[in-house]
Amino acid sequence: MTSDHLQAEVDAWLATHWQGLPAHHESFGRDPRSAWLAKVRDAGWAVPRWDAEWGGRNLSNERAKIVERAFAAVGAPGAGQDRSNLWANTALAHATDSFKRQIVPQLLAGEVGMCLLYSEPGAGSDLAAVRTRAEKVDGGWRINGQKVWTSGARVADYGMLIARTDWDVPKHRGISFFFLPMKQDGVEVRPLRQITDEAHFNEVFITDAFVPEENLLGPLNGGWGVLQTALAYERSVMGDAARGPRSGAGGPKGDHSLLGLAREAGRLDEAVVRQDVAQVIAWRVLNKLNTARAKAEMAQGTSSPIMSLGKLAMSRILHEEARVRTMLLGSESLLEGPEHPRAEDANFLAFNAYFTSIGGGTDQIQRNIIGERVLGLPKEPEVDRTIPFREVRAG
Amino acid sequence: MTDTLVRPETPVALDSVDRAALIDSVRRSLADRCTQADVRRIMDSETGHDPALWRALAEIGVTGLTAPESAGGAGLGAIELELIMEEAGAALLPAPLISTAIATVLLDGERLASIVDGSRIAAVAFAGTHDWTGRSDVRIAGDRLSGTARFVPDAAIADTILVATDDAVFAVDRGDVDVTPLPVFDRTRRMADVAFHGPATRIGDASRVAAARDIGIVALAGEQAGAARRMFELTVAYATERHQFGRAIGSFQAIKHMAADLLLESESATSAARDAARQVAEGSATKDAAVPLAAFACADAFVRVAKDGIQMHGGIAFTWDHPAHLYMRRARSGAQLFGDSSHWRERYIRALEAQA
Repeated sequence: MTSDHLQAEVDAWLATHWQGLPAHHESFGRDPRSAWLAKVRDAGWAVPRWDAEWGGRNLSNERAKIVERAFAAVGAPGAGQDRSNLWANTALAHATDSFKRQIVPQLLAGEVGMCLLYSEPGAGSDLAAVRTRAEKVDGGWRINGQKVWTSGARVADYGMLIARTDWDVPKHRGISFFFLPMKQDGVEVRPLRQITDEAHFNEVFITDAFVPEENLLGPLNGGWGVLQTALAYERSVMGDAARGPRSGAGGPKGDHSLLGLAREAGRLDEAVVRQDVAQVIAWRVLNKLNTARAKAEMAQGTSSPIMSLGKLAMSRILHEEARVRTMLLGSESLLEGPEHPRAEDANFLAFNAYFTSIGGGTDQIQRNIIGERVLGLPKEPEVDRTIPFREVRAG
Repeated sequence: MTDTLVRPETPVALDSVDRAALIDSVRRSLADRCTQADVRRIMDSETGHDPALWRALAEIGVTGLTAPESAGGAGLGAIELELIMEEAGAALLPAPLISTAIATVLLDGERLASIVDGSRIAAVAFAGTHDWTGRSDVRIAGDRLSGTARFVPDAAIADTILVATDDAVFAVDRGDVDVTPLPVFDRTRRMADVAFHGPATRIGDASRVAAARDIGIVALAGEQAGAARRMFELTVAYATERHQFGRAIGSFQAIKHMAADLLLESESATSAARDAARQVAEGSATKDAAVPLAAFACADAFVRVAKDGIQMHGGIAFTWDHPAHLYMRRARSGAQLFGDSSHWRERYIRALEAQA
């Protein structure tokens, strides 16, 4: 089949099936677009690069992009999840065949809600220090422990869980990776009130919960490797996107919103304001240019170091943009509430910037990763890397 | 000599294979003839210019890179120029490449042909509202020029001085002006004051001046991006080799974190320079934002990489013998060459306002 045929096929399929959706997107929990996503999945457009066995079409990267572009052109979601769906990609790479057959199709259509059970109160930047324990029992594992920073836990059907399965080996070597069923006694979810005054995250308390045998991903005690592939997906997505103002009333979003706010505040003729606004907008544009360059380089088959820079760049942009917004508002930023939406936005963004600079690995951890994996600088010595986890000091 | 400027021919765009071959030939030529020892030799010479090196560059087509084929040039565009400038910047090439690229846009006919074949060198003085220094004082009365253009790059070695005003472009022979070389901080980029006091040849109207300035910015941005990347590579290599406290200094987070930040700066500069080049080549509608963005993003990135790079090297980079200060001088000189970053951020936000 030629590219033209493929293009014609996708266009025809979309013309027949696509009728639009209410604009709603939630990356955690059950997806309200499931009915549509199921159609996309059944047609093979969801994961065009994958083998037909797993619902794909075996297309090359270049041809898969034809599919993605056709979907993008009409604004239809669901295509190209072989690059973007964290859950499905992790399952495909590491789950047993029988579990894959059950879960992957559901993940592609957003029919099951998902959450991440990685961080713990004593294991944040150092995820290898998890103390949640998984003990072998008949037909599976019994789980006990506590997780935190879990988005979407209240609606999730499964959590991707890392838990300790061996306490007598060094910390990275005794961890396993599971799909934990969330809807069971023994899994208690409590909303966590954040500095933004939202409760986007939750704490999850796990007491004698059960995971069936087949929900183990990767080898027993080999969970660290599975986690690394899952984290890489998550980070590359975080550099691309960041949340906008909470109220949506703070002027137009995107590159020029600061310009609009400066004009509205009557301060666009101040030299210092102009310099700061220009710089923040420039950083946003540069991040987009970097991402585009990285994608172009990867499309040509060369790996790009730039891909790892997006999240770090975005941290700076978000913190700095919040600072400039606050400066533009002046004393108005002391207020909040629905009658002061611009102030509420600025203050929300000032706190929410930490979502990116701490979440998914702090900026400092990110810099270590760039230094070591991209630039090849020698690793920082880790004193607990070789001693049995039982003997590690923590907390 | 024509007195009316005609539109240049449409530049040829190379495919990726030819482009790689071009870059490779420039890289090899620079590796042969523009080593660090060469840079220091040229830097310490009276004129800061090496005619043999310039001839060699002319032979592989660099001096006529963006000139139309009818003038003996390669007929290429801003995209290729920017990539070549990345190589030139990495090697700290001390040669009038940027002046030549700007002059190529302003000239036609024999004058252009003699620039392209490397037999003559042109320097460009921007005057009027195009003068970024705010210190020049060039007056035009009919076809006579008077006053002084300050900080004109390459003027002391130029055969022809071009003056780009708001209304016209003039050419003056080197013998008809007084050139005073300046004792510049970056001796790899020479500048001079040029005093005019007589007739000048009006070679065209001002229709190409903005395009000439854009090409100059693209060339400078490419030079800065390439130099920033090379300085960064030197720094990472040093942090890997240099041991203190029983470990490579690059294993310390204090160094590693600076390196990660500088990678972001360096890559962002490359992205900005290449995007500006592409937009200039395509005549994009948003070119007037892309060019100023590249101007300040690349200047700022190079200054930061050079500055923090010295800090990361420690004492060794504080010596004259280490190349780090040469990069620092280049970075600081380039950051003033066509106006400072505040100037270009202001032009950037004006372009955004115009688009909004």
